Amino acid sequence: MKSRIASERLRDLQSITDAALAYLPLEGLLDELLTRVVGILGVDTSAILLLEDDDSTLIPRAAKGLEEEVERGIRIPIGRGFAGRIAATRSPVRILNLAEADIYNPILREKGLQSLLGVPLLLEGEVMGVLHVGTLTPRAFDDEDVELLQRAADRAALAISSRLTERERGLTDALQRSLMPRLPELPAVALAGRYLPAASERLGGDWYDAFTLPDGRLGMAIGDVVGHGFHAAAIMGQLRSGLRAYAMDGAAPGGVLERLSRLLRQIEPGRTATVAYVVLDPHGGALAIATAGHPPPLVQVPGEEPRLLQLPGSVPLGATRYVRYDDHLLQLDPGSVLVLYSDGLVERASEPLDDGLNRLIATVRDGEEDLEHLGDTLVDVLLPEGPGGDDAALLMARAMPLGEKIVARFPAEVESIPGMRRLLGRWLDEAGASQRDVDDLTLAAAEAAANAIEHAYGLAPGIVELHASTDGEDTVTVEISDFGSWRAPRGTHRGRGLLLMEGLTDDVEVVRTGEGTTVELTRRIGVTAG
Amino acid sequence: MTPGAEANVEYHDTVGVVTLTGEVDIVQAHQLRERLLGAVRNEDLGVVVDLTRASYIDSVGVSLLFELAERLTERQLRLAVVVPKGGLVARVLGIVNLGSVAELHPSADDAIAAIRGG
Repeated sequence: MKSRIASERLRDLQSITDAALAYLPLEGLLDELLTRVVGILGVDTSAILLLEDDDSTLIPRAAKGLEEEVERGIRIPIGRGFAGRIAATRSPVRILNLAEADIYNPILREKGLQSLLGVPLLLEGEVMGVLHVGTLTPRAFDDEDVELLQRAADRAALAISSRLTERERGLTDALQRSLMPRLPELPAVALAGRYLPAASERLGGDWYDAFTLPDGRLGMAIGDVVGHGFHAAAIMGQLRSGLRAYAMDGAAPGGVLERLSRLLRQIEPGRTATVAYVVLDPHGGALAIATAGHPPPLVQVPGEEPRLLQLPGSVPLGATRYVRYDDHLLQLDPGSVLVLYSDGLVERASEPLDDGLNRLIATVRDGEEDLEHLGDTLVDVLLPEGPGGDDAALLMARAMPLGEKIVARFPAEVESIPGMRRLLGRWLDEAGASQRDVDDLTLAAAEAAANAIEHAYGLAPGIVELHASTDGEDTVTVEISDFGSWRAPRGTHRGRGLLLMEGLTDDVEVVRTGEGTTVELTRRIGVTAG
Repeated sequence: MTPGAEANVEYHDTVGVVTLTGEVDIVQAHQLRERLLGAVRNEDLGVVVDLTRASYIDSVGVSLLFELAERLTERQLRLAVVVPKGGLVARVLGIVNLGSVAELHPSADDAIAAIRGG
């Protein structure tokens, strides 16, 4: 009798992986699975808990008769209580009398469960979760029950795994895409970036970022969170935000990385990440860089062989409690290129790292001037078969010579002013202006820009445009334009602003059209003031 | 090269000396204003603002000095500003005629002595 029932139960078990289940999304699959397990074993409750990416916590994902377990969002540490012990030992656990057992999750008692049986969800020997069933009356689960539940769990593990991978992949892609920055557009620095998600099931935590700092300098970062999966990608998102926040506070690159290392240890002890962070003055070319265990950035000066920066060794973020990251200073003159990359771009499993680095150097040496083209070429040459088991990130910057005239657009925000002044200052310097010309004209232009920012747009976002040109001889014209509505300047400092513009230039013209207002500042340069 | 500004306050008996360093501009004005106005103590005879180490000052920075002058005048306190000769800061303060509301001096010692001397 018993064996006949057993064979029927086994047949029922086949249904756990039948074709109908193959098309269900994860939630539907788990739900259906638990319904069938309850039926086959004749129990009152069943639940599935899945291991988080941090490998230390179980989270209930679906339940029958124990729905509160899912709804309350409880997190069960590996090794603790009933489910935690199953995951830690990778072995089934039977409980005859719940009242006498070590239980972590109070819901099990609240529901009045008497007996429990749980088995690990195993995939290729790795624990991915726990499947358990329970009864409201005492029941001594026998070896056959254990075997049946374990078989159900094995089949479930396979089905869940493919769904999870698919979904994680979608989530990670979406996260990665949402975190790809809009690169700043600067007249003095060209930027281009690439992110390549891993081809295999292993999901990555690489990122790159570029942003303008409050003082007008440019911050550039590239990083790689060690580990894979959606969790690593989520940590990446937090580090990226943390880096920006510390950078905006004005810390030097080494200081930013020291804080970021502490942040990572706070978010998740034991997790490490490699990062390179660079601050570039787009108008003077001064560059400060700090790295935390990251592959060496590459620099190419026009006419010279590209070289990898020889920086002293450094430890990854999060690796040690007390850590110092030093700033290294260099100069990025017009025409020079800086290439930041993650190891996914240069590492291939089958060959030494140096081969990948040499290929990187050769490709940059022979590569196009245009950074978008160079980016495409680098990806084609370094990853000819597409990304492998690791994701890859690439960020390139080229310092651009300023031309005969400049046209630059800035967000209509006070914070744009220092960067605009530095750009104009560098251009004036290249145009042969004296220090006094530079000081006076940049201050006059800053006043015109401040006027536009404070009065043209109200609270709406807007744009301020800078034009600067010479008449081919010694007269410079600087135009500051807005595209908002004119409002007479208010407050005494705006009145002083006009006074300063007039006092520091030879001529000030304000041209108002239906499209906005342009302030034209004219001054002869290179003339010693009398 | 690093822009930004700082305000350091020291007291020489009954004279507060505020040294402004860096760029006294629209970006920094907000935080400098608090430091500047907060430096005035009730028992002081006056305040010295030392611009020797300021590389830049715009109309918002200038307005800060005018506001300080106005507040000090209300309390019958004096304002002396230390202006290095010949630079951008001196040209700016000349154009806006800061001399109409504050005494201008070439050094901090001169400025402190002037306020003490009444």
